Amino acid sequence: MMKNDGGVRVFWLLLLFLLYTRGKSFSVPGKPTLTRCRSPEKETFTCWWEPGSDGGLPTTYKLYYRKEGSEKEYQCTDYHTGGKNSCFFNKNDTSIWVNYNITVVATNALGQALSDPLNIDVYFIVEPNPPENLNVTIQNDKGWPFLRASWDPPTKADTRSGWITLIYELRIKLEEEDEWEIHHVGQQKVFNIFGLQSGGTYVIQIRCKPDHGFWSEWSDDVQVVVPNYFPNKRSAWVLLMVFSGMVFLILSWLLHLNSRNLKHCILPPVPGPKIKGFDQKLHKSGKSVDAFKSLEVPDFPHHTFSKSEDFLVEYIEVYVPEEQELMLEKSNNLHNGCLKSESSVSDCDSGRGSCDSHTLLLDKSGHQTNTQDSQTDEQKHGEALQGENLAYTHQDMVSPDMSAGRVKTWPSVFSPLPQNRSTVDQTSSIEIAKQHCLSDSLLPSDFLTPYHSPPGHCTREHLGSNYWEFDFGNKQPHLTQPQTEACHQIQAHSEININTGVKAEPAAHKFPTPRSNEYVEVQRINEEDSVVLRPVASNYDKLFEMQQGEDYSRVKGVDSDNVLLLLQKEAMEEEMNMCPCEQLTDTTGAHYTRFARSPEKPTACTHPTPQPLEERVVNGYVDTATMFTMPPY
Amino acid sequence: LPQRLLCSALMCKAVDIPDLLDRASQRSDKLHSLSNMLALELESDLPAIGRVTMPRPAMCHTSSLLTPNDKEQALQVSESTLMSLARSLLKAWQYPVGVLSNSANLLPHQSKASISNKLQELQEHSRNLEDGLDVLSGKMGPTAQILSTLPYRGGSDLGQDKMSKLINFNFLLSCLRRDSHKIDSFLKVLRCRAANMQPNLC
Repeated sequence: MMKNDGGVRVFWLLLLFLLYTRGKSFSVPGKPTLTRCRSPEKETFTCWWEPGSDGGLPTTYKLYYRKEGSEKEYQCTDYHTGGKNSCFFNKNDTSIWVNYNITVVATNALGQALSDPLNIDVYFIVEPNPPENLNVTIQNDKGWPFLRASWDPPTKADTRSGWITLIYELRIKLEEEDEWEIHHVGQQKVFNIFGLQSGGTYVIQIRCKPDHGFWSEWSDDVQVVVPNYFPNKRSAWVLLMVFSGMVFLILSWLLHLNSRNLKHCILPPVPGPKIKGFDQKLHKSGKSVDAFKSLEVPDFPHHTFSKSEDFLVEYIEVYVPEEQELMLEKSNNLHNGCLKSESSVSDCDSGRGSCDSHTLLLDKSGHQTNTQDSQTDEQKHGEALQGENLAYTHQDMVSPDMSAGRVKTWPSVFSPLPQNRSTVDQTSSIEIAKQHCLSDSLLPSDFLTPYHSPPGHCTREHLGSNYWEFDFGNKQPHLTQPQTEACHQIQAHSEININTGVKAEPAAHKFPTPRSNEYVEVQRINEEDSVVLRPVASNYDKLFEMQQGEDYSRVKGVDSDNVLLLLQKEAMEEEMNMCPCEQLTDTTGAHYTRFARSPEKPTACTHPTPQPLEERVVNGYVDTATMFTMPPY
Repeated sequence: LPQRLLCSALMCKAVDIPDLLDRASQRSDKLHSLSNMLALELESDLPAIGRVTMPRPAMCHTSSLLTPNDKEQALQVSESTLMSLARSLLKAWQYPVGVLSNSANLLPHQSKASISNKLQELQEHSRNLEDGLDVLSGKMGPTAQILSTLPYRGGSDLGQDKMSKLINFNFLLSCLRRDSHKIDSFLKVLRCRAANMQPNLC
C-alpha cells in the first residue's frame, strides 16, 4: 500500500505540474550577446551583455575569458559592480595591451547557450567618467563681465602621471534657448567665456575624452546669472541719439564753412589754354595782332627771308638706291669720309630728286673736273658749309683715294650714264658730282676736322642746322666768313647760295620756303661747276611724303673714329608709307648713326625703331634716310 | 629630480627634453591615429571567415618584447627603459610598414587609394619619430640606446590570393595599431615625468 501511495503522489504531482504548466513552453536559453566593454581609466574595465530569451526558466549567466598567450580560462568574479548583466574586471585582472577573449554562457534547467566571443583590448575601450567639480564664476574685465569655468578631471583618471591624457569640451547656452555653443578646450582645466548677455542666465556643461578613446557623458548643469552691466538700456539710446545729433551738427557746420573748397575739390574748374607769351587779355580785347606779336621770335628766318632769287633750302636729301649700294660695298678702299647710307633702297625724301636728275649728269658729262684745285677747297669746305660752296670738297677728300670709282652716291643717278663714262676722269668726276649731291651727313669726317679745329664756337651742332650748301665749283676761292659769323649764319638761316647762273624756274614750280615740304633738285651743273638748283615739282611731293623735320637727323658730331654721328630721331618711323625707306639702324645702340660702320642690308620700307632722341631736333636735319655709310676701311 | 634622471652625467640640456618629449608625443599621437583609422577601415570589410582565420595577436612579430602591462608596472619602469622599448618597437615596424605601403595598391579593396595615402603618411611620421627619438635617447643615458631586435618574418608580400592578402593586411594593421599605442603611451608617461615645470600639462 505504501508503494501505491507514493506512485499516486507522483502521479498527482505530475498531473498538477502538467496542469500548471499548460500553455507555456520551455526551452534552452537564447544566446546572450556581449554588447560592450568599457574602461574608464585604463586600469579596470566592465563588460555588459544582452541576454537572449530565457526559455521560460530561470537562467544564469556566467562570463568566461581567456587572455592572450595563455589557454587558461578565467571566470568573472564581479557581476554586481557594473549593474545587471555586467562583469567588472578589477585592477588585478586587468592587463593592457593584452587581448581578451570573452564569452558569456547562459544556463537554465534545460540547457545552456554560448554567446559569440568578443575580442577586446583595454587600450581601445577607454571611456572616462565626466569631469568633476565644474565651477563657473563671474569675473570683471574693466567693467565688462565674463565667465570663468574651471573643473577637475574625473577622479579615477590618473592624468598626473601621464598614464591617461584627457582633452575637454565645454558647452554653454542661455537657459531659455535650445542650441548649445560648443567650445573645444584641449588639455587645460580652465576656460573663459566672453560676449555675455547682460542679465542673462547661462547653463554650462563639460565633458572629456582620452587621446584615443570615447567621449564621456556631459557633466551636470551649472547655472550662472550674468549681472546687468548696461545700467539702463533706454538711457543708453538717449545718449546715443544726442551724440549723433551733435556730430551731425558739427559736420554740417564744417561743410558750410568749406563749401567753396569742397566745390573746387569735387568740381574742379576747367583749365584754360596756356600758351607761353600769349596774353589772354589782349586776345580777348580783340587786338589779336598784338596778342600774337608777343609770340614772335626775333630773328625768325621767316622775316629775313628774302624773296629774291635766293632759294632757301633747309635740306637736301641724298638718296642711294639699294642695288647700287651693294655694288658700292664691294669696293674696298672706300674713303673714310665717303658716307653711304645703310639702307639705300629708296628714299622717302624728295631730296632724291636733286641728285636724281638726269640733267645733272648729262650736263656734267661733258665737264672735266679739275681735281687739282681740290686742295684749296679743303679749307673752304669747312667754311663752305656755312657759306657757300661745298661741292668738290668731297672731291678733295675722295680723290686721293679714289682709285677705282668708289662710292657712291646715287647709283641710280648714274645708271643711265655709263655710256658717258668714256674716261676714268669722267667717271670720277661724275662720281664726285654724285657725292656733291650728298647731304650734309656725307661730309667726310676729315673734311670736317679742319673745320672743327678752329677756336670758334662753331660746334658741330651747327653743321646740322638748317641748311645745306652745296657747291660744285671748286675753283671759287670763296673765303668764308669768319667762322663765328658763319656759325651764326648757319644757325639763323638756311641758305644755299646758288652760284650765278642759277635760274630759278619761274612760277611753274613752287619756291621752297623755309619749313616747307618742298625740295630743290639739281637742275644742272653749269659751266663753272656749280649746281643749278630748282625747286622740285609738286609731283615729287606726292612721291615723297615728307614730314617736316621728321626724316632728318641732326649731326651730333664727329667722334674719334672720324665718324659722323647723327642723331636719330624718334619719329622716324612715321615717315614711310609710299616708298621703300632706307633705314639706318643704330648699331651702337646709342642715338647716333655711325657712318663708319659697314652698311647694313637695306630694308624695304621698314621703319626704324624709334629711339628717343637725346636732343630735340628742331629744324633742318640731315635726312638719315638718305644717308650713306662708309664701309670701314 | 626627474630632470636629473633624464639627463646623462656629461651632457644635460634639461630645458630641451620636455619640449622634445612633447613634440615626440604629438608625433606618436598622430602615428597611432593613422594606424587606428586604417585598422578600422580594413576590419569593416573583412568577412566573418576572415576574422576567424586571422592569426592571434600573440602572433605579432613584436610580441616577444616584454613591456609593462598595467599602470603599476609602467610607472615603475625607468625612463631610459621606457625610451628603449619605444624605440625598439618603432624600429621593428620600419620594414613591415614599407611592405604594407607597397602592397596597398594590390589590395582588393575599394578605397585602396586612401589607404595607400595614409600608409605613406604613416611611414613618414614613423621615420620622423625615429629620428627624434634617436636625438632624445642621446640625452637620456646609455640604457635608452639599447635596441631590441624584433625581426619581421612575414616576407615581402602579404599572400598569394586575395583572401590571404586581406587577412594578412588586417592582421598586420591590428598589430601596428597596438604597438603604436604602446609607443604613444610610453612617450606620454615620459613627457609628464619630465614636465615638472608645466603642471598644466599633466
